Amino acid sequence: MSAQAPVKSPFSPEQEKILTEWTTRYPYPNMGLVEALRSVQDWHRMISPETASRVAEIFHMPFSHVWGVATFFPAFTMKPVGKYRIGSCRGLSCWLAGSDAMEACLEKTLGVKARAVTPDGKFSWEPMECLGACEQAPALQVNDRLKGAATEKMIATLAEERHD
Amino acid sequence: MTKILTKHFDEPRLHELETYRRLGGYEALQKARAMAPAAVTAEVKKSNLRGLGGAGFPVGMKWETVPPEDKVPGPRYVVVNADESEPGCFKDRVLLTRAPHQLLEGLLIAAHAVGAKETFIFLRGEYQNQYDILEKAVQEADAAGWTKAASISLMRGAGAYISGLDTALLETMEGKKAWPRQPPPFPTVAGLMGKPTVVNNVETLSMLPFILREGGEVFAKIGSARNGGTVLFSVSGHVEKPGVYEVPMGSKLRDVLALAGGVRGGRRLKAVIPGGTSMPPLVEKDLDVALDFDAVRAAGTFLGAGGMIVLDESADAVAVAHNIERFLSHESCGQCTPCREGAAWLERILERLLRGGGVPEDLDNLKRVGENITGKVICALGDTVGVVARAWLGKFPDDFKAKIPRGNS
Repeated sequence: MSAQAPVKSPFSPEQEKILTEWTTRYPYPNMGLVEALRSVQDWHRMISPETASRVAEIFHMPFSHVWGVATFFPAFTMKPVGKYRIGSCRGLSCWLAGSDAMEACLEKTLGVKARAVTPDGKFSWEPMECLGACEQAPALQVNDRLKGAATEKMIATLAEERHD
Repeated sequence: MTKILTKHFDEPRLHELETYRRLGGYEALQKARAMAPAAVTAEVKKSNLRGLGGAGFPVGMKWETVPPEDKVPGPRYVVVNADESEPGCFKDRVLLTRAPHQLLEGLLIAAHAVGAKETFIFLRGEYQNQYDILEKAVQEADAAGWTKAASISLMRGAGAYISGLDTALLETMEGKKAWPRQPPPFPTVAGLMGKPTVVNNVETLSMLPFILREGGEVFAKIGSARNGGTVLFSVSGHVEKPGVYEVPMGSKLRDVLALAGGVRGGRRLKAVIPGGTSMPPLVEKDLDVALDFDAVRAAGTFLGAGGMIVLDESADAVAVAHNIERFLSHESCGQCTPCREGAAWLERILERLLRGGGVPEDLDNLKRVGENITGKVICALGDTVGVVARAWLGKFPDDFKAKIPRGNS
């Protein structure tokens, strides 16, 4: 890429600092890339070409590389997710235990289809591949934290109490 | 029954250094560090410890393929594969939650054996609770001075199943798409950033403190021939008591099923996936199969990572095969054409069968497409794509035939 005029960073100074720290956390700067993208996903609930571009500058990588990595991994989204990103497991054991019904319940309770965000920005839900909690089927997680076996009541409570 | 990894699981604060130390924790590491690295490897070879992440490769033999420092100078690494994501497997999650120091001690023993000054734990991103536990445990180990000889760093993945395959894991760690590499060279020769790297699973490394403390021969004796020690089964599906069960290698399938309370509601058993959904199923006549890498292999499937899913008579083999092939299609990294295209193709055929729109040719196509994938791709995921549908069709042809309406022939 040719030299360009510096553009305004899409990150706060504190966030810039954290991203730079990921370049020094491991023996080689590139080893921090996936963690850095995890940070961006957490802050903005998505990764945009603008944020990926700034990450590329910080990591001294071509934008195409960073964008390729960002679009490869399911944890990274190119559209926003909710503040509470609910994952409903559909691995075999969870499917046997009724994950289809839990997906239908999430859609009905939250009023949005998979990967769409509620109008207040609080929630999105998506089916996920095996969460490693097959003994708690059908497993449900919120923001990468396991909540246990899903029930209609659990989903209703989740939707209620998180309306902070 | 002999327990190694879960022996102290009734201790509520086992995850804390103080409790772990009181139970003799880190004494094996001290013992190992007083030994020559080659002697540690020799002990592990004697133990017949196999790679419990799924491949079953003899651990000591793997370590020996790390080139000596006078031949390949520079850093060498040990990486913990904590990217557990094979459907049916959750034993690593339980080990990380309950006994993080057991893993750290094992990791540091491995680091001593192969001369690594830096080690890494690559954890799936969805195990955020376990990340917090590990972070605390590493801080405790740092403060106690255990990591002066070899550091431990944590890193999280980002939701791709394929990152759990050793070479794809290394690619992920290098900040790249998780595309498996085509060995050789194997990671022990050229792994992370091209440096010699041992990649071992959580359960595998957690076995090392016992082996060093009690000796390789004691460990070997607990298991069966060429399969030392115990193995953890994550049992789920149609059983009364799903959970993690530790049994000696070579225990019978029947006994593990009994530990999990048997098939739910006294129903009839249809199939058992022994090692995670990538493995072909066993059936009722296989209940006396000994569960170790070699005996399960002889029975036509794989011990894998011990992710045992039990299916009762209500399960439909076509729906099960569809669930698994859909998963594999979603998780195919896209690098090899036979896997990328074939997985989606198999998923579509199975979906058509499920919806009652199947035609007789579909069964031949499941076989033909599968045969054109397995062995023609870089990694084990691709090989699996070609195997799963054929395996379920082979074991339960009637379920598949029942999905083809008469008028469609």
